[in-house]
Amino acid sequence: MTTDAIQPPFRIGVDIGGTFTDIVVAGAAGRLLAHKAPSTPEDRTIGVLNAIAGAAQAMGRDTRDLLRETELLVHGSTVATNTLLEGKGARVGLLTTEGFRDSLEIRRGLRRDVWDHRSPFPPPLVPRRLRLGVTERIDAAGAVVTPLSRDSVLRAVEVFRAEGVEAIAICFLNSFRTPAHEHACRAIIQEVWPEVWVSCSGDIAPIMGEYERSATVVVNAYVGPRVAPYLRSLEERLSGLGLRHPLLIVQSNGGAANVAEVAHHPVQMVLSGPAAGVGAIRYFGRDTGSSDLVSIEVGGTSCDVTLMRDGVVQMTDQLDVEGHCIAIPSVEIHTIGAGGGTIGHVDAGGMLHAGPRGAGARPGPAAYGFGGIQPTVTDAQLVLGRLAPGPYAGGAIMLDRDKAAEAIERHLAQPLGLTLEQAAAGLIRLVDQNIQHAVERVSIERGYDIRDFTLIAAGGAGPLHGAAVGRALGCAAVYVPRLAGVFCAFGMCNTDVRIDRIRSWYQRLDDRQPDRLEAAFREVEQQARAALARQGFAEDAILLERGLALRYPGQQWPVTITCDDGLGVEQLRRSFEAAHQRLYGHFQQDGEIEALGLKVGARGHLPMAAPALAEPGPLRWPEPGGRRPVWIDDATGTVLTPIHDGRRLVPGDAVAGPAVIDEATTTLLVESGQRLRVTAAGNYLIEPAKKDGAV
Amino acid sequence: MTATATAIDPVRLAVVQKQVDHISQQMGLIMTRTARSPIFSQSHDFTCFVASAGGDIIAQADGIPIHSGGGGFAVRATLQAFGDEMAEGDVYLLSDPYTAGGNHLPDWTMIRPVFVSGRLCGFTCNRAHQSDIGGGAAGTYNPEATEIFHEGIRLPVLRLVEAGKLRRDLFTLLLLNSRCPDLMEGDLSAMFGSTRIGAERVAAMLAEMRIDQGLAYFDALLRYGEARMRAEIAKLPNGTYLGEDGSDTDCFQKIDVPVRVALEIRDDALVFDFTGSSPQIRGFKNSSLANTYSAVYVAVATFFDHSLPRNEGLFRPVTIIAPEGTVVNARPPAPMTMNTVYPATDIIYACWKALAQAAPERGCAGWGKACYGLSSGRDTDGRFFVMYHWHGASGGGAVKGRDGFQSVGHMISLGGLTLPNVEGYEQSYPVHIHRQELRCDTAGAGEFRGGAGVDYICDVLVLTEHAVRSEGVGRPSGYGIGGGLDGASGLLDVDEIGKGSCPPPQYGIQRLGPSRIRVQSSAGGGWGDPFRRDPDAVLADVLDGIVSSEMALNAYGVVLTSDGCTVDHAQTSRRRLSAAGS
Repeated sequence: MTTDAIQPPFRIGVDIGGTFTDIVVAGAAGRLLAHKAPSTPEDRTIGVLNAIAGAAQAMGRDTRDLLRETELLVHGSTVATNTLLEGKGARVGLLTTEGFRDSLEIRRGLRRDVWDHRSPFPPPLVPRRLRLGVTERIDAAGAVVTPLSRDSVLRAVEVFRAEGVEAIAICFLNSFRTPAHEHACRAIIQEVWPEVWVSCSGDIAPIMGEYERSATVVVNAYVGPRVAPYLRSLEERLSGLGLRHPLLIVQSNGGAANVAEVAHHPVQMVLSGPAAGVGAIRYFGRDTGSSDLVSIEVGGTSCDVTLMRDGVVQMTDQLDVEGHCIAIPSVEIHTIGAGGGTIGHVDAGGMLHAGPRGAGARPGPAAYGFGGIQPTVTDAQLVLGRLAPGPYAGGAIMLDRDKAAEAIERHLAQPLGLTLEQAAAGLIRLVDQNIQHAVERVSIERGYDIRDFTLIAAGGAGPLHGAAVGRALGCAAVYVPRLAGVFCAFGMCNTDVRIDRIRSWYQRLDDRQPDRLEAAFREVEQQARAALARQGFAEDAILLERGLALRYPGQQWPVTITCDDGLGVEQLRRSFEAAHQRLYGHFQQDGEIEALGLKVGARGHLPMAAPALAEPGPLRWPEPGGRRPVWIDDATGTVLTPIHDGRRLVPGDAVAGPAVIDEATTTLLVESGQRLRVTAAGNYLIEPAKKDGAV
Repeated sequence: MTATATAIDPVRLAVVQKQVDHISQQMGLIMTRTARSPIFSQSHDFTCFVASAGGDIIAQADGIPIHSGGGGFAVRATLQAFGDEMAEGDVYLLSDPYTAGGNHLPDWTMIRPVFVSGRLCGFTCNRAHQSDIGGGAAGTYNPEATEIFHEGIRLPVLRLVEAGKLRRDLFTLLLLNSRCPDLMEGDLSAMFGSTRIGAERVAAMLAEMRIDQGLAYFDALLRYGEARMRAEIAKLPNGTYLGEDGSDTDCFQKIDVPVRVALEIRDDALVFDFTGSSPQIRGFKNSSLANTYSAVYVAVATFFDHSLPRNEGLFRPVTIIAPEGTVVNARPPAPMTMNTVYPATDIIYACWKALAQAAPERGCAGWGKACYGLSSGRDTDGRFFVMYHWHGASGGGAVKGRDGFQSVGHMISLGGLTLPNVEGYEQSYPVHIHRQELRCDTAGAGEFRGGAGVDYICDVLVLTEHAVRSEGVGRPSGYGIGGGLDGASGLLDVDEIGKGSCPPPQYGIQRLGPSRIRVQSSAGGGWGDPFRRDPDAVLADVLDGIVSSEMALNAYGVVLTSDGCTVDHAQTSRRRLSAAGS
């Protein structure tokens, strides 16, 4: 891939991570360029502009020149998540129904790890003194029991003013039935205090459950006043630099939206970044020829697992971000603490553990030489010869093998009575297993057999784990994108604009329903279409998808089915029973079914960057650029292993394992008995993932 | 080669540990997602575990803590009953606490032997609370019971599936004895599915490793748990420490029901001796041996480092003496359905109080005991419902480093119970809820304070039976520790709408017309001297209405400025110093 071949029009993805801001530029004919610039947490805009300038330079252009020719710039940012995690959000006041101001703090009581009872909950985002009750009540059927008291709203507003509140969240009981009181309350506030930020729970998350709704609307109000100015200023800067199209932002649902839409619902940005992996997964589906993919994206601190079945990326209705509940439709990403910086340690009983602690970007692994002394996964990879000593991550870091070896020797090998190699291999073994378990958890929860899937190993650190994890899972093949290290930025070049709208619909399924349900769907669809029309989509560029959340009475979780076959009771029942059978292994013959809510996913279709497919060349077995001793796996041990330079491998090439491929943003390992092929789009496929052997 | 002769590779040991943990978690996941009744899916009132061929738990996940220690009793009872004739494809079910290693009747334990190459290698099991098992009251809890026969069907070790074939006759018998056969059938299939998949995974793991080697690693895991625990115990000073908790009711009358423990710490071993505890009582708060062991295990596991593995090796250094005929080891036919909460909580508190003397820094204050019951009846469509007043959950106790959790629920679930939303209840049941807010000045004062109780008011709009279990009214139950103060006790008020007050019994059943139920729940105890609490934290509590300015002054020695918005540090120091000097 030579960069001078990249021609306009351009599509750009920019992803801000903890250490690096990644950029991918896709040009005509699927040509790609990747670049990394250091992130600038004090003002993230700078890192974004630096990344764009760096990419422009690599293309022999200036920034203005690049941006003017860009038809789509999609941005993913952890700004909302970081605001939440660092506790730097707005001072929020929460209005609730009188008598219920503590739902947010009682948080349904649930502790994630009950045995760890000594750890506190994160403090609620709104302290109790700023959670105030308002006189009003709507009953379970949506009827007004107590009218909204204007005076009680005004009294609360006075308290909020005096307390320096910047944003107000409103969550009244049963507002998922009717938002009338929330809206009336908002109107009163805006009348007396027009400049304050206000959001209503029934608008942000119209679902049953006052805890989930209030938690979500509070996060929205908490991050909003921080996120919106950042997005507006970035868009201004970019258009000042020549960008002629609106900036698009990745949302938790995996789709993008313009700044105006996101600024209104900033809570939708909490997964901005990782959710963009969806675009990459879809794109790679076309290259692998499989529509059943599961991706592991392994970075410095964590591993994200995302699953696509039949070309549909799995979604969830509820996220937990560090103990904060956020109930909005999102890509289902299962995250575990397994990455290059994960620390290995031996406990008092002599047991080896990988994580959960990590070394982060600073001091990072011992090998970085930034003062870290704990042994990490990256140190183990280096000791095992899988990573080479010297320049790493584009030269930003020098890997020091001696420091890595010392950390592993002292903290793992000696306490365990193992050799250096055994200890390093043991740490890798545990991380591989941890990732394998995370994938199994996701597939079991969804009722899928993971052996039918192709594993995508991505993230800078993922392709060293792909072969072993794929083998342990029994996957058909392991696929490694050449741009594995900028997976999400790449995904941003391949995203649609997406709006999800939900509405509560709490009814038993019965014959009288279809007409009313149809009307309800139409109304929600109308809202979604309008939102897309505001972003410039013509009627025929909009794709709509209907979903209905159903359950047997008493069940905790509903099953969301798509309504492709219409809204007849019998069709709905059949779809539900089929999904229930798959997820749970059984369904109840003629059981009563109730609906909880309906949802509409509306996509504004953007043309996707097509992979640049090469003519399939003749099968070639290129010579490696060199050899070094590498520990491959338990059965093979350490052998003198061919090392290939990825830039020299072209479609049609094949490499027999064991082998290591060095790529610009990542390193791949091919185990003994496996074969790597370069696909038509220039990516890597390792087959067979599965082979016989002991644990 | 004998199992113990296998050399143990530390990496493989870690891999096996993670694999068995993962299998038990998968079993839990399948249970949660497949079960029908809210008691499984919402309350997580179940536990999944993997046991060795000898009946020792080697991994368990999910579920509520009080289930944690008793599972081994069930496996060992099954081995005793059917050990010689156990066959591949068998599945066993049991519940009886007197004869079958059960903890109390509503928890049914399913036990599936794992065979590899015809050899018994272990068991995959789950223990799960059923929605209804017959007996004198709907929903398994009969506060009027005076014999176990009033509490529902008793299951000895049943061979429910014989070599892969379900005993239809037995299965029908089980369903016939429940008021909710649909829920039971759904939940039993979840239990079948979960243990089956667990068994497949355990068998696959053992087959891959070779059986002898695999079993040797199971043993090594138990030895590892034992070594970790001995190392923790060895840090404590030798000595004998006394702890006491208990109840002031036998469910029928006010009577002192003490649970007393003498804890002896001897180097790296613990002996908990309950001699001197109350004789067994008339009501249903008697413990079975399995439940008492479980409670002691919870006390020990929560007192030490939470990273300790939860296998039965951990408890090899723990000896328990529970005299027969007492409230911690009752003789038949004493009723005992309540035991997983009471006296389990009392047993845990007695142990915690004793342990705290040996290591005050790790001391745990008491969580308020509950003071709510459940309402059952028929809704306006004639459908039967059972509704727990979980919104009235009590506050948790403090430990060093954190305040108690606000309105979190039973100590024995440690927050493993999902409290319902008001909206969910109003949709599902004929109720209108007026209030659910934290109570001021209830949290036990301390350097770290207890969690507050809650004020909950609920109108029940139809005729109901109100099954009352108000352990947390009367004397304070969320005790303070290490100088911390007790949390407030709870109150339960019942009115029949339009008729006036209907004072509820502490335990018992009320038959009510449309009614208003008000729970002012008890609060958790504090940890450490309240005068050492950060004055700004006290101020925050005052501004938040959790602590009044009077209590700030009297209990915490914190003087606020006249506007009540800042701490008067000079006055506060003076006040605290003079109190320390007096």
